[in-house]
Amino acid sequence: MKLARVLLTMVFVVCFSAQFFPAAAGEQVTVVGWGGNWNKAYEKGVWKPYMKQTGVKIIQEEWMGEVAKIRAQVQAGNIIYDMVSVEAPGAEIGCAEGLFVKLPRSVTGDPDKYHPETIHECGVASDTWADVMVYNADFIKGKIPKSWADFWDVKKFPGKRQLYGQAQFTFENALLADGVPVSEVYKVLRSPGGVDRVFKVLDRIRPHVIWWNQTTQAMQNLASGEVVMSDGFNARITHEIEAEKKNYVILWEAGYFYGTDLWVVVNGAPNMKVALDLLTWFSEPKNQAGFSNNFAYGTGRVEAINYVSETKRAQLPTAPQNIKYGAPYDIEYWVENKEALEKRFKTWLSK
Amino acid sequence: MNDGIDVKSMHDRGRTPSQWKYVLCIAPMAVFLIVTFFWPVARFLFKSVDNSDLVSNLPRTVIALADWKHTDGIPGEDVFAALVQDLADAHANGKDGIVAQKINQRVVGTRYLVIKTARIAAKGGFAKEALRENVLKRFSKWGNIELWSAIANDLKPLTEFYLLMSVDLQKNPDGHYESVPEEQAIFLQVFGRTVWISIVVTLICIVLALPVAHAIVAARPNVARVLITLILFPLWTSLLVRTIIWMILLQGNGPINSTLQLLGVINKPLNLIYTRFSLYVAMIQVLLPMMIFSIVAVMRRIPVNLMKAALSLGSPWLWAWWRVQLPLIMPGIFTGSAIVFVFALGYYITPALIGGPREQMISSFIAFYTNKTLNWGLASSLSIQLLFLLVLVWLIMLMSRFVFLKRTEK
Repeated sequence: MKLARVLLTMVFVVCFSAQFFPAAAGEQVTVVGWGGNWNKAYEKGVWKPYMKQTGVKIIQEEWMGEVAKIRAQVQAGNIIYDMVSVEAPGAEIGCAEGLFVKLPRSVTGDPDKYHPETIHECGVASDTWADVMVYNADFIKGKIPKSWADFWDVKKFPGKRQLYGQAQFTFENALLADGVPVSEVYKVLRSPGGVDRVFKVLDRIRPHVIWWNQTTQAMQNLASGEVVMSDGFNARITHEIEAEKKNYVILWEAGYFYGTDLWVVVNGAPNMKVALDLLTWFSEPKNQAGFSNNFAYGTGRVEAINYVSETKRAQLPTAPQNIKYGAPYDIEYWVENKEALEKRFKTWLSK
Repeated sequence: MNDGIDVKSMHDRGRTPSQWKYVLCIAPMAVFLIVTFFWPVARFLFKSVDNSDLVSNLPRTVIALADWKHTDGIPGEDVFAALVQDLADAHANGKDGIVAQKINQRVVGTRYLVIKTARIAAKGGFAKEALRENVLKRFSKWGNIELWSAIANDLKPLTEFYLLMSVDLQKNPDGHYESVPEEQAIFLQVFGRTVWISIVVTLICIVLALPVAHAIVAARPNVARVLITLILFPLWTSLLVRTIIWMILLQGNGPINSTLQLLGVINKPLNLIYTRFSLYVAMIQVLLPMMIFSIVAVMRRIPVNLMKAALSLGSPWLWAWWRVQLPLIMPGIFTGSAIVFVFALGYYITPALIGGPREQMISSFIAFYTNKTLNWGLASSLSIQLLFLLVLVWLIMLMSRFVFLKRTEK
């Protein structure tokens, strides 16, 4: 008797919970972004208009960029994510492994209409960010720094500096400080002795550098005056200036590199069709601009900037007035060399 | 002999039903652990030697390169034909990316060489006659003898490449083991550092925990409760908040430095943050409670009379504590040390935020290879070394415990 009752309860539970299974609901899609204000900007500027227009339900999740999670999902055949924003090198590796769907032109539109390195076989830019030079005007008065060479000049501008504790970003910034123009940086890095040159430049500034690993940490050090100059992600710095009324100055004209995170569709995604449709819709410049209007990162389509408000435009790495000083991170270079160079960099740091 | 067996079997018979009950009680947990923990971990660890991605996608090349040695020079027509055919197949199966990734891990800067070669091979872009010359003309990098010996050296189903790399070793073209170049030799150093930091943290925790544990045991229940709550506070605070608090406290113009300057103790701010010191402080703050509770648990069971007896017999307090109290506390110290040490070994977010570049621990590298570059072979090899260290330390502790208990029995 007891057993029958238990079985009956179990049947009930299964039937009841089946209502919550995705398959039973209307059309929906799970998109995974970087969380916080980034997700909010996407929700407000992009997902809501799409949901209103199509009636599709977008479920937003957040992650920390661990492509390992997607690899595990695909290998186990238990795929939860549909569309994910992945760092470009991760997108390249995952794409080559078959973790992500190759996107047809009917989805992405003409690749020539994108900024360089913001479109990929498997993805289109979800956000185009930049690692920029910034100083705290509360602590630097009178003579102000204008270039990466000034960043390296501890006599002219005394005080500690702050750099990102990894090879990518730091290598590029070091070469800019050594007088290499942005367009030549990867030519130098690829040439024999190029990397040695980077380490020689880094040796010069090493005793004056605090290495940051998380944006919160970088911003805290900049705010307190622990460091007078830093590099950092432009949107976070803009946020500090606007929301926290900080006296920071971003030096676009010092030269900068921009990178992209790419929307990719996971191979075997449960809502593949909806995801591809969403991405097709997102590839329109007007629809992309919804993100940049709410967050200081650009997107992929060059024309998207035309739909961004005047005040927001000046804050974007993809704005015409800024991008003349910038160049994209070379994904091929970093995918090939990241492991070896990060290891060499960490060894150098440990000395 | 016979007697023994009889007694044992009688004993067993008597216990059989209840033993089954125990097994049933444990079974769900055991199955759960095997399915969700041991099996996936074992599978992940196997990746440290698994070479199937390379071997199964280059079947013809494996055969063609079987007798090749690096002294033979750049391989001949047959090897090139095998490679082109294999890469064409790999491209068709969507496996060229994985092959390229694996080869690039061995010889840096060859990823796109492999991918581009595979693309052209799949389209039949290399003329059948003089294939070798054709490939070399398009991609001169295939004329690199080091690339060929790296591939040929490692075409077995199981590879030692990642395990060697995780201890800063590599195989040279002759098949001998050698150290990796100095600029790439980092893992041994980081392992040493990780163990050293964990040992120091454990020792400091012991020293700090003993007086606190004494106080908790001696205090009235109400006071003890308050003390325990205070000790638990750091554990209830989120990692990021805790870290930011330490950053603010320890920075150059933070409260600690400015107070010391105000009092005239120092005239220049001390370098407190991004040092080994700041890392120890932050780690101990979180790990200390575990040590304290392990010791308190043991201490509560020690009769108060023992110390009183020793003292009343005329022993000085410290001597009595050393000879009577400490040996009884020892099991608690062992348990606490094991917990603290193991936790400390796995730290990496705190070192990244509060430590300097010389304080980074091995887990940060494991996370990097797992998540960023998807090099699970190396990530898994580093995990194996960490596991090996753990077992080693566990054995040492087991032995010292054994020796210690034997000594106190005398």
